[in-house]
This record gives sequence, C-alpha cells and structure tokens, in this order.
Amino acid sequence: MTLTVIKPGLQTTIQAGPRVGMRHLGVPASGAADALSLALGNRLVGNNLLAPAMEATMAGVSVRFDSDTSFALTGAQASADLNGRELAFHTTLAARAGDELHVGLARTGARVYIAVAGGFVVDEILGSASTYLPAALGGHEGRALREGDRIAVGQSSGMPTEHETPAEFRPPVSRTWALRACRASEFALLDDNGKDRLFDTNYTIGQRADRMGMQLEGASFNVSSQGRMASAPVFPGTIQCPEDGRLFILSADAQTTGGYPRVAQVARADRHMLGQLRPGDHVRLLWRDTRSATDELRAKHDYWREWLPDIAQVV
Amino acid sequence: MRSRSSRETLDTRILVCGDDLLSVSLDDIRACQELADRLRDSGDWLESVAGIDSVMVQFDSATIDIDLATKRLDEELRQAPDAPDTEPELAEVPICYGGEFGPDLGDICEQLDLTRDEFVALHVGREYRVDMLGFTPGFAYVGGLDDALNVPRRKQPRVRVEAGSVGIADGRSGIYALAGPGGWPLIGRTPLKLFDASEADPFRLHAGMRIRFQPVDRDEFDTIVETIAQS
Repeated sequence: MTLTVIKPGLQTTIQAGPRVGMRHLGVPASGAADALSLALGNRLVGNNLLAPAMEATMAGVSVRFDSDTSFALTGAQASADLNGRELAFHTTLAARAGDELHVGLARTGARVYIAVAGGFVVDEILGSASTYLPAALGGHEGRALREGDRIAVGQSSGMPTEHETPAEFRPPVSRTWALRACRASEFALLDDNGKDRLFDTNYTIGQRADRMGMQLEGASFNVSSQGRMASAPVFPGTIQCPEDGRLFILSADAQTTGGYPRVAQVARADRHMLGQLRPGDHVRLLWRDTRSATDELRAKHDYWREWLPDIAQVV
Repeated sequence: MRSRSSRETLDTRILVCGDDLLSVSLDDIRACQELADRLRDSGDWLESVAGIDSVMVQFDSATIDIDLATKRLDEELRQAPDAPDTEPELAEVPICYGGEFGPDLGDICEQLDLTRDEFVALHVGREYRVDMLGFTPGFAYVGGLDDALNVPRRKQPRVRVEAGSVGIADGRSGIYALAGPGGWPLIGRTPLKLFDASEADPFRLHAGMRIRFQPVDRDEFDTIVETIAQS
C-alpha cells in the first residue's frame, strides 16, 4: 500500500517522534516540529501517537492515495480538498484508491500534518523514523519529498471509535502566541535593561524561520560576555542571544551545542507551539519560575490525558 | 544555628536552565566528559551532554521534581570522578591531504606562510583528543592543534561537504562524519567510515578519544575505502 506525492510543496517531510539520548553524539531531536498536532492526527486514525506522518510546511502538498485509506489532517489552518471536495480538519476521513488530496497554503500556523491509518513506513535511523534534513538522516531517503515519490503505508491496527477531535482538544492556531519560558544559564549576563525587557517585549518572528529555529525581532539585547562563549549544550526551546543582540529560538532540529549565551528556555509545556510559528507572527515570552512551569506542565498533561492518554510522551 | 536548608548546601556550580534542564559549570573539558559520561551511565537523565566548560542534563519533569533532580545531580557531582582505568582509545585517522579532498589547503598554506609539506608535518606531528561531538551528528571537534595552524572559519559555508572531510578552524581540527553543509576550511579527507547506521554504536569517534593523523596518498585512500567496503 502506498501514497504518491503529486506536488511536494515548499518542504514536506516524514516526521515521527524525536531522537532521544543521543545529543552527546551530535544527534539532534528532530521529529514533528508540532508534536501535539502529529499526535492528534494519529489519534484519529488509530495509530500510535508518534507514528510517522507527513509534515507539510507553509505551501501545502498534493498526494494521491494508491489504495483505500483512512487519514486525518491537523495543525496549521489551511484549505484542503479530496478530488475538489472540501475537507474538514480534526476528522477521520476516507480516501478511495486514486483519490487526490490537495492541502493549500497555510493561512495561520506553519505546518499541516497528514496522518494515515497504519502510518508511513520508512526506516528507523538512530531510534526514529523522523527526517533530519541537514544530515540527510531518516524519513524518506533523508530528504524532503519530491514529485513522484511513493511512500509505503503500514497495516492499520484498527480504527478508533471517535472520529472527531472534541472542540476542547483542538489547539488554537493564531498569529499571536504566548510562550511560557524560564531563565536559562546566561540570563545573568543580560544588562539590567535587558533583564526587564526580555519578558516584556512584543516580538515578531523574522524571515529566517525553519525547523532549526527562528529569529525574534523587535528588540535588541546586550550580553556582557566578550563576544562568543565556549560551545555549550543547547536544546529545542533554548533562546540564544548572538552578538547582533537579536534573539534566536531553537526548534526541533536544534543542533546539540552552540556558542551563544542562552538567556531563556521555552517551558516544556509550550515547546510544541514552536512548530506553528511563522514569519510575521507576534510572540510574547511569559516568565515562569521552574516550579510553576512544572506545575503547569502537569496540569496540561492532566487536561489532555482524557483524549490523548499518552500525552506525556508527546508534550 | 547553621542553616541546613538544601538550597544553601547545593553545589554552586549547578545552574537551573529551564523546567527540565540543569547545567554544571566545570573548568576542564576532560572533567566535563567524565561527568557527562558518568551521569549518562547512571540512567537518571534523558540526555547528558558535555560542552567545553559545562555539562547539561535533561530530566523528565512530568515525573521528577526539579528539587529531586537538583539533589541527584548534586550527589553525583560530589562523588569522586571515575579514575580512568585505561588510557582512552587511540584512533589512527588516515588523511589524504589537499587536492579535491582539501580544496582550502592551498589558501591556508598561503595564509600561514607554510609549504604543503610543512603544513602536513605540523598537522600529523602530534596526538590530539576529541573534545566533543556536535554541530551535526558525529562531527568531531579535535582539540590540540599547533598554534601555527590557527585559521578562521570560511566566511561563506559550503552547501555540501562530503563525509570524512577534515577541516581546521579556531585551533581545532573538525571531522565530518556525515555529508552536509559546513563552514570549516577543508584540508583533506579520511577514507574511514565514521558513521554506520547499522551498528549499535553508529559513530566511530567519541568525545575523549585520542587521535593520530596519518598522511596517505590517493592510491592508499582508495585502497582503504575498498577494504572497508568489502569487510
């Protein structure tokens, strides 16, 4: 059973769960930039929450189903149709062999997930099926999908009884985001003015925005280190302050070490949102001490567990 | 009365870096590697990564409170470092210098006012250590370069650098385990296979390992590549 790519769009990759426990070897997490949307899609087609799905960036994607398949769309807001018939997101959908699915430009948010019953079948490399483009690892031949690619689909293990994500479990996708964040290792190197403004600025996501990270524009900061610092570990959600004073938020493909001061760290509970930020979006950082951030993470897990029992593997 | 609150007795080198991240500042890269390895082996942490002068660990904040994580880290930090029972493994890394494998070698020699042979003699003339893996999967930062070989990174990174490429920059050699983009000026390439996804331990080089470079010519390079392909 396969699915064929008709139009690959800007950057469509196979993404599943992250690579864990290999950052000391230089191996980044990768995986779905918005893992919550990946999980919601997989939930609707009866897959493991982190089963491999398609992640389409900004410009959408067109594919043809080569056999009868159940699928679901989640993530960014975009128009979508099957052979010209409009489709709803967050719903279990049925495709017949030969049907063509078109996902259009994302109106808000950056990434749409297409989950199919059985999941996409690609080789697992270093513990995950996720594509890591910079090193051509994982996914479909380590690269973004191209026209004509045929991707194998696995055996469905049985469909769920509910076929729609309840309204209270559809994450809002917006042009304005609030990300809870904690102070990080080099926060103390900011000058007093910078310490005040870090959590009190309306940032805009810059043009450079990809799976590795995003520029935060709208304020410039001074750190009192002499130029660059010795390379130190960084993680998805780390907010760096390079020499030019413009903050950079690292995302799913964050490299494992970096040479810039780390001034803040997006709280674990909100890291999945990084995958939906796009150039021009407005962002505020909400300061949390680590204990409140942990309490809020656990409250979020408690809320989501009703629909996604394995939420702690996802967020 | 002396206060016994845990806060005051915790090691001051521990820094909270997020709701699931803790960092330890150390002054020595070997101490960083030893601690990072020890923490990873303890099984208490999701990730344990050494930098040049710090170690960062990630824990599962859904089930472990930050106070407990900090206390564990503090205890593990207080334990005496593992005495190295053996010298770290020595990896012999053959390099075919210059030509298509080392397109920047000519420029570097000109910059440093060295002949090609002088450059190679200086580069193979000592034992090195892998300071860390990072930047891209398996990329080895190899420390200990002769001061006479200090050059900056390229202003324009290359879109593609082949696997096995060896560069130098900012006092280190860098070895690319995988093909990908890269900004290090390239001096040559090793025929060794540095990444093999089918192995349980897919990377040939690791932090802390000792390294010796050996110059090989193009024929020897090809022979080694063939031998590896057949085995």
